Amino acid sequence: MTKLDEICEAAIGAAGSLGTAVDFIEACRLYLAQHEIPEYEFPIFYGRLSEALLHRGRREHALECAHIAFELRPEQEDIVSLCAWVFSNSARHEDAAAAYERLLEIRPGWAEGHRHASGSLAAAGQLDRAIFHAGTASDLDPHCFEFAVHAACLCETAGRYEDAVGYLMRAAAIAPGVSTVLRQMSRLKFVLEESEDAVALALRALSLAPGDRQSALHASELLLRTGRFDEAADIILGTLDTHPRDGVALRLLSAAQMLRGRIAGALEAIDRALAVAPDTAEYYLHRANLLYRLGRLDEAAEAFGRAAALDPSNPDAKRSQLTVYFDSGRFTEALAVGGELIRAAPENEEYAQAVLQVLNRRFETLDGDYIVLSERASRPRRGPRPPPSFCERLRTQARVIHALIIRETRTRFGDSKLGYGWALLEPIAHILMLSLVFAVMMRGRPPIGEEFFIFYYTGIIPYHMFVHTSSSMTYAIASNGSLLQLPLVGTFDVLMARGLLELLTDTLVAAVLLAGFGALGLGALPQDFAGVSVSLLVVWLLGCGCGFLNAAINAFAKSWDKIWVQLTRLLYFCSGIFYVPGMMPEWIRDILAWNPVLHAVDWFRSSFFREYEPHWLDRSYLVMVAVVTVLAGLGLERGLQRRLYEPL
Amino acid sequence: MLDQVSTVFQSGHNFGILGPNGAGKSTLIRLIAGSEPPDRGVVRRYARVSFPLGFGGTFHGALTGRENVAFIARIYGAAIHATIDYVEGFSELGEYFEMPVNTYSAGMRARLAFATCLAIDFDVYLIDEVTEIGDQRFRRRCAEAFRQRLVRSDIILVTHNPHTIRQYCDRGAVLFNGQLTMHDDIGTALECYHRLLQENP
Repeated sequence: MTKLDEICEAAIGAAGSLGTAVDFIEACRLYLAQHEIPEYEFPIFYGRLSEALLHRGRREHALECAHIAFELRPEQEDIVSLCAWVFSNSARHEDAAAAYERLLEIRPGWAEGHRHASGSLAAAGQLDRAIFHAGTASDLDPHCFEFAVHAACLCETAGRYEDAVGYLMRAAAIAPGVSTVLRQMSRLKFVLEESEDAVALALRALSLAPGDRQSALHASELLLRTGRFDEAADIILGTLDTHPRDGVALRLLSAAQMLRGRIAGALEAIDRALAVAPDTAEYYLHRANLLYRLGRLDEAAEAFGRAAALDPSNPDAKRSQLTVYFDSGRFTEALAVGGELIRAAPENEEYAQAVLQVLNRRFETLDGDYIVLSERASRPRRGPRPPPSFCERLRTQARVIHALIIRETRTRFGDSKLGYGWALLEPIAHILMLSLVFAVMMRGRPPIGEEFFIFYYTGIIPYHMFVHTSSSMTYAIASNGSLLQLPLVGTFDVLMARGLLELLTDTLVAAVLLAGFGALGLGALPQDFAGVSVSLLVVWLLGCGCGFLNAAINAFAKSWDKIWVQLTRLLYFCSGIFYVPGMMPEWIRDILAWNPVLHAVDWFRSSFFREYEPHWLDRSYLVMVAVVTVLAGLGLERGLQRRLYEPL
Repeated sequence: MLDQVSTVFQSGHNFGILGPNGAGKSTLIRLIAGSEPPDRGVVRRYARVSFPLGFGGTFHGALTGRENVAFIARIYGAAIHATIDYVEGFSELGEYFEMPVNTYSAGMRARLAFATCLAIDFDVYLIDEVTEIGDQRFRRRCAEAFRQRLVRSDIILVTHNPHTIRQYCDRGAVLFNGQLTMHDDIGTALECYHRLLQENP
């Protein structure tokens, strides 16, 4: 041996002055010939020379020599082994692998050799054969931890996860306390979609190394992915106790808090993470999503912008920024972002659609641009208007009712040219017709006065006043429903407007007819003008009370108006219009005397004809009934206010 | 719709009311207007509050545009001739102004309603969704007229469009689950509304 070493030294020394590899080998040959070295020692000489050269850092020459040695004696174990060592230390993995495989032919069943071959093959990129050798090594020496882990790593690289898990289990059996193995196994189990095993392994790895950051992060990430948010958060918080400025841990904490619904906590965690690593695009993306969830749109838009600036290759940040601007109504900004998106990806249809949407919305609200915010800033504050005084409210009410009456006169006979004239003509025609019929039928003097026309007139006028008022008020709300939308118009106003209009109309009708009779020479003026007026007013009041009641009842019982029509027809026969109650038997008269309209008719007649003074007439009864119905009607109208609005 | 809500719409500010569909925004506007009485409680108005802008439901189909406007002017005690002249000029209905309203198209009705609301000098205008009426030119005139009104008057606006809210309003309110939350800043109101939508999809 020493002799060989010396020869090598001498050979290197002799060849030292020469430059290139070929020349170096030539020099060596020359040296061997000069010193008469026997030929069988050539391989070992080249082998040793190669080793010595590698030690001196002359890798090229070392490899030359190793190749010569390998070619000269490929069957000699120590030489091949030497060559393999030189090859693998010179990063000639393919040559090394060939040498190791050669060695394995010489020494089958050599576990370490398989391991070496596997390493070289893996480095040379021949994964399948590398795995074969790694597996053989581990199978030959199943108690070697390193062999098992090596085989597992190769299998994982090749995507053969189940094989990898097998080798890792072998490794874990050899050394149960190594957390890295468990962690790796956990990762693979998760990839294999056996998440429960994966989590169990991760937790076991963490329990073996409680302070280990990697194990903690791994375990918490798995817990997050399997929906066990609270446990994950606990583990991360534990890690943060020892590593308070760990960006990855803070990012995980933020995810955990978000998944637990604690958005504010998540935001705080990601802010801390950003303080540690301020230039991480993904952190900004996450932060922006959190802000968006919190509805802090302006900040979210800014964070998306930062993420996009830090990672221009990811278009999602910009796309999200557009959405946020759109949602917060900042269409100009949204449009700018959309423009960038389209410029970056002109073919992307989704971006084009988004921009189109922004454009449409912007167009819709173009008019709003005319109102400039700054102009309003200088607007003086208006003092509060005092609540209207009683007089003012009364004036308003009068104004409203006045407006309603005018409207009523225009709309009731809207499609007729004569308009409201019909409201006068209709009862006049009716009275003239019926009194003609009765005059012929009764064929003689009326019970009171000279003319039947006058007699019938004195009956029908108070009756009409009552019936017209009460019936027309029944429908007041239904036909004016839309007007109740006006704040100043209430149910009382529409009812009252109709009531007053009927009072005016029927008074006018009465006056016109009277004038007509006068003109025809039937001349009869009321004897007591004030009494006639008062009796008409009282019967109108009674009509109003019934009108209020009708309107209220009709809101509940929809067919009440039909019943009311029948009742008014009955009243026509019970109110002494074409007869006087004095003509009736006493017992019938006693019953009829309950009818307030009968009293109204008789009151009117007794004021019209001085000679007529029936003993059954009770004016206070009529006044009382009128007042009670008005009070009841108004009360019901007030109380059912809500209900009366509903027919809308 | 509103449950135990006590709040003040301060004068000198324009309010935007936000809320998901069916939260009762329109009902709130009608309560503020007085178009509908509250089931319980009171609405106090220390200002002349308009009926919802562009609401033409009070128009009677058999009456002419002129008669309908006169009616509204009478109700509010406005000078009848001045009001009619203003509406006649603004609504650009031409000879239709003398025709019954039920001969109008929907657009003409809307123009009449909008002009009538602007003609009367309200302190607070209520707007339930800014509706687009007429052609571009008419809309510009509306916006211009409105801008003049806003020097003296406030608005309370209900809309889905955040852009409109930002342009018209400086304060916001969010209506949800019967609660009305006031915000002094329109930005925070929009954020609150957005958060609500996220949490209650």
